[in-house]
Amino acid sequence: MPWKDGYTISDEKSLADSDVRWPGGYRCCFSITVDLSVAGGPEGITEADLASSKAQFGLREGLDRVMEALGRFSLKATFATPAVMARLQAYALRLLTQEGHEIAAEGLRHEDVSGLAREDEAARIDLTTKVLSDITGRRPEGWFSLPRQGDPFAGGTISPNTMDLLIDAGYAYFGNGLADDIPHHWVTDAGARRSILTMPYYYHYDDQWFLLFPSKGTGLEHADSLFRNWRAEFSAQYRRGRHFHMTLHPYAIGFGHRLRLLETFFQFVSGSPGVWNATAGEVIAHWREIDPVPRSEPSIWRDYSGSLS
Amino acid sequence: MTSVLERELSELTTAARRYDARHRRIPKVAWPDGIRMAVNFTADFDAMLLRRLLNEPPMQLAKGEFGGRVGIWRLIALFDSHGIKATIFTPGRIRELYPEALRAVHASGHEIADHMWEHHVPRDMQLELDHLQKTGAALSSITGRTPVGTRSDHSLSLLKQEGFIYTSHECADHLPYYLTDADNRNEMLNLPFHYAIDDAMFYSFAWLGSGNAAQRITDTDRVFDMWWEAFLQQYHAGGYLNVCLHPFVSGRAQRIDMLDRLITRMQAMPGVWMPTCETVARHCLATHP
Repeated sequence: MPWKDGYTISDEKSLADSDVRWPGGYRCCFSITVDLSVAGGPEGITEADLASSKAQFGLREGLDRVMEALGRFSLKATFATPAVMARLQAYALRLLTQEGHEIAAEGLRHEDVSGLAREDEAARIDLTTKVLSDITGRRPEGWFSLPRQGDPFAGGTISPNTMDLLIDAGYAYFGNGLADDIPHHWVTDAGARRSILTMPYYYHYDDQWFLLFPSKGTGLEHADSLFRNWRAEFSAQYRRGRHFHMTLHPYAIGFGHRLRLLETFFQFVSGSPGVWNATAGEVIAHWREIDPVPRSEPSIWRDYSGSLS
Repeated sequence: MTSVLERELSELTTAARRYDARHRRIPKVAWPDGIRMAVNFTADFDAMLLRRLLNEPPMQLAKGEFGGRVGIWRLIALFDSHGIKATIFTPGRIRELYPEALRAVHASGHEIADHMWEHHVPRDMQLELDHLQKTGAALSSITGRTPVGTRSDHSLSLLKQEGFIYTSHECADHLPYYLTDADNRNEMLNLPFHYAIDDAMFYSFAWLGSGNAAQRITDTDRVFDMWWEAFLQQYHAGGYLNVCLHPFVSGRAQRIDMLDRLITRMQAMPGVWMPTCETVARHCLATHP
């Protein structure tokens, strides 16, 4: 239950390190999101976004190289896929599915839905679900709304209805929440005990903010800093026995020196015994067993004149 | 012409001197016997309150929520493991969102101090007093007494009236100093913190209203080096350092690890004192009134 509507989405307190358990005696979980979107801003993927060398690199070379790197280290990832990219990359999606990766949804064109009417948003969720199901032969279990570089904030955007609609549409999880570093419950209605499990996301482990961001030619190429962030966070989470999560964009990480840093990081992880690499869907299925319902107490919030409600 | 220019110079120097007169510096703090330097670890525990106040979207609130769900607990464990007594600056409203965390902060002997009622100071003095008193009541319901310190722009006159002995919100000197309000009254001790020793500067998107394109995120190795150098400079000067953390920022696992390394290295130096802000304030008030 939310401690306070409009403020919190989940329980007052996260699970302690000692209460986080992984299957088969694994000590730490490692999950990877590959974002197939090439959207530049809140409007989602535009014709200009697609008719660009950046998109072309991501669609072909970048994706091939990322798949190769994952394959070399026997790693499985979850691919956040807008419907338009699924149509464009149908062959790749079938291949990814065969190789054991997970295909999850990321909107019709990875658009900002925060201002949409409920019916409009519901129709977009339905069509996106259908497009992905038709191509991969299975219904997506997860829905992502990852941030775009042109957004006002680096957290991803949702509407007040999104979580509710995803529950209605049968989604098992939402892919990118920031309230925790392990899966957690996003409560939509405390009274009705209605919630959806949420996978953690954090911009510090997302390649797009370190690689020639915000636009080409600013000199802001900090692949080394990105690598140090991955390594330091993985090490800290490994020691705690919790969960490390990273977000990759093939158009960004699939190039040259960046790719080598990614492989160096995968090498580093594979040298740590007891790491459970799983897709988001697998992590959520496990989480449903160890942390099935939100824990919380009733709100003690009081409204006062002259104060925010 | 010359007289006009002279007046310009005179007006500027008068303004600067007027501002300068509101500050009373302590040239050299005489720390207790055996102490060479004081370090205050402080955490501004506002979770998602500021994000809510600014009407930011749901994911921004969730980013702040991490501070209450996860970050504050890790900071308490970190400080306790090093025997540090920290100061947690807390909006009064946090009492209604994270009471269990505040009880844990208090139980570990850390100071709970004022960080406004809902992370802003109302312009209306009557409402400002109301917010200050609400926060006092909320925090004292955890600690048994009203706070004596604040990190805010609350009016010094109201702070004095409500029994506050220090503030910690700007950096006009390395060392603690006294400042007065615009009328040159209501002198109060300030424990300075510098924005370069503030975790959010290096790790948080959208800090202080910056857009994505103005992001300045970096990694813990780089911050470790900067903060260590800042510490060393003051260590050699026999001075003071205030480390400003945010549970939603520094509570992330790799940053806790970095702080753990940094504190271990600081504490290996002889004569480093890490008490609460209140303890430092009372020492300064007693020895440099």
